[in-house]
Amino acid sequence: MTSTRSATLFAFALLAPALIYILTIVAYPLVDTIVLSFTNASLRQDYDFVGWANYQRIFGAGNFTEVIIRTFIWTFFSVSTKMVIGMLGAVLLNAAIPGQALFRILTMPPWIVPMAIGIYMWAWMYNGQFGMISGLLENFGITNGPIAWLAYGNTAFWATIVTDVWIGVPMVTIYFLAAMQSIPRDLHEAAWTDGAGRFYRFRRITVPLMVPAIITMSLLSLIATFNSFDIIWILTQGGPSGSTTTMIIDTYKTAIGSRKYGEGAARAVVISLFVTAFCIVYFRAVRKLQQGEAK
Amino acid sequence: MSQLSLKRLEKSFNEARIIKGIDLDVSEGEFVVFVGPSGCGKSTLLRMIAGLEDVSQGEIEIGGRVVNDLPPVQRGIAMVFQSYALYPHMSVYENIAFPLRVEKLPQPEVDKRVQAAAKVLQLESRLQHRPGQLSGGQRQRVAIGRAIVRQPKIFLFDEPLSNLDAALRSEMRIELMELHKRLGSTMIYVTHDQIEAMTMADKIVVLNAGEISQVGSPLDLYHKPDNLFVAGFIGSPKMNFINGKARAANGTTVTVDLGALGTIELPRTSTDIAGQDVTVGIRPEHLSLNGGQFTIDTTPNIVEHLGIHTIIYSTLPGGEPFTGLFEGNPDLEDGKPVRVGFDAAQAHLFDTRGLAIY
Repeated sequence: MTSTRSATLFAFALLAPALIYILTIVAYPLVDTIVLSFTNASLRQDYDFVGWANYQRIFGAGNFTEVIIRTFIWTFFSVSTKMVIGMLGAVLLNAAIPGQALFRILTMPPWIVPMAIGIYMWAWMYNGQFGMISGLLENFGITNGPIAWLAYGNTAFWATIVTDVWIGVPMVTIYFLAAMQSIPRDLHEAAWTDGAGRFYRFRRITVPLMVPAIITMSLLSLIATFNSFDIIWILTQGGPSGSTTTMIIDTYKTAIGSRKYGEGAARAVVISLFVTAFCIVYFRAVRKLQQGEAK
Repeated sequence: MSQLSLKRLEKSFNEARIIKGIDLDVSEGEFVVFVGPSGCGKSTLLRMIAGLEDVSQGEIEIGGRVVNDLPPVQRGIAMVFQSYALYPHMSVYENIAFPLRVEKLPQPEVDKRVQAAAKVLQLESRLQHRPGQLSGGQRQRVAIGRAIVRQPKIFLFDEPLSNLDAALRSEMRIELMELHKRLGSTMIYVTHDQIEAMTMADKIVVLNAGEISQVGSPLDLYHKPDNLFVAGFIGSPKMNFINGKARAANGTTVTVDLGALGTIELPRTSTDIAGQDVTVGIRPEHLSLNGGQFTIDTTPNIVEHLGIHTIIYSTLPGGEPFTGLFEGNPDLEDGKPVRVGFDAAQAHLFDTRGLAIY
């Protein structure tokens, strides 16, 4: 009995540093945010509990619902484009072409360059007066005059997605490339001896065998993109007229910009709920895939 | 007419010559085994025939047509891979049907052929399973099924049994031989296991360092090896080699001085061998404990009692390892001297270059 008890204590002692770390930097802020979301906390010293008022306000006003829908649309296009380009990139990098190693290295810069620098670079490229994109389109006669891509709601929305895709694609490509290379060569050779061409092999062998990698990457990318803050904030700060305001930007503006900490916390809790749901889907998918592999 | 002809076939990877000019004819319906140690080029040669490796020089003819530049599917071959190469995400049915789906055959035809193959391979109850749910032997059968449905002129097998345990391997060996009889197709089979080669082949091609060492029937290779390599490779336990010097050769016998072991006279017609360093070979199973024309006194370091026979391992005065295999359970012990003998007619003789002298 005593030895069992001391073994349990010893186990807790070993876990203690990690537990204290997690409780301090994850659990405490999370609980504090949840508590804050039920208050009218602002710059004032004291604050009152307001029950569900913050939640009623953000869902009742209509504005936040719009932000949620926009966030999902933004995330959907960004993630799906990253997956498609990442897959194409992996196919090209996997092909036996001269200079393959060089092309693999050239894939990395968007990932290696510090994110803020990369985003500022895009901000300049989108600039109407000095920007490369507008200039090139004008030079080729595709547009009549300069276009300030970040100045209009429609173009700014897609411009932020393009930048997010540019930053996110290398990781997806490298991950898909690794998954592609883990498919035994024999399978392709067997299919080839049976007369299957490249596209047929890609459709019937490569893609089905990459499903676990595609699901995993899609869900991880979904979580990261849903929470993406830096790109939109540096490029547009959520503008113009809120056209690029996603949930995370809206939360920041409410909590830090308008100093409405209680309302901001409620928005943060809603984001956490969505991300938690994504995480549950992710972990379930991973477990299912592992069970599938074990069969 | 031969169904497959290899003419001066060569393969190089950069500067390295892997296949060094191979000539071979395979007749229709033959079961040919490529055998040799790891790295001898046997799998490369098979992959060249399959069309998975380019030919550096020479020609491959299948059914009288040069196929060097044809893709695998147009060569009339089907290949069974060492790893089975089954598609893990497809059912057994779809794995077997794969080549027919590529060909876009109508479903009734696909079904007919898959069911027929499944029947031959006793896989009917497994058709809806995934490869991961099958045993090693069953997976191997699925791989063979995928080859059968294509109705190829030539089946190519790349070490198909090497991933199976010993019991299953011998079972599958028999199944493959039965399959060959039933289908009557030409089969080319690569293995490093000389037991597989001896038991399955109509014709064995022994490869060494990218060249053919000898081609022949299993018993030809066993009884009349052309050279030291084949003599050492075919047979288990391997042949004993004793170094000696040919003292005389009179057209009917060659007298070989085996140093401390004495002198042996071998019936050979060669006359120009006198004075050469030679090697005398004797198979462990041709040794007897009841004497013989030539006897050797030796002391076993290790004795293995296998019930059906007993094997002794010792070293000769010249430093050569020496193995003897005797039927049943004779009274042999580690460290206890024993006299073994053999008849001169059973011995092999090789010249300085390692070529057999008959």
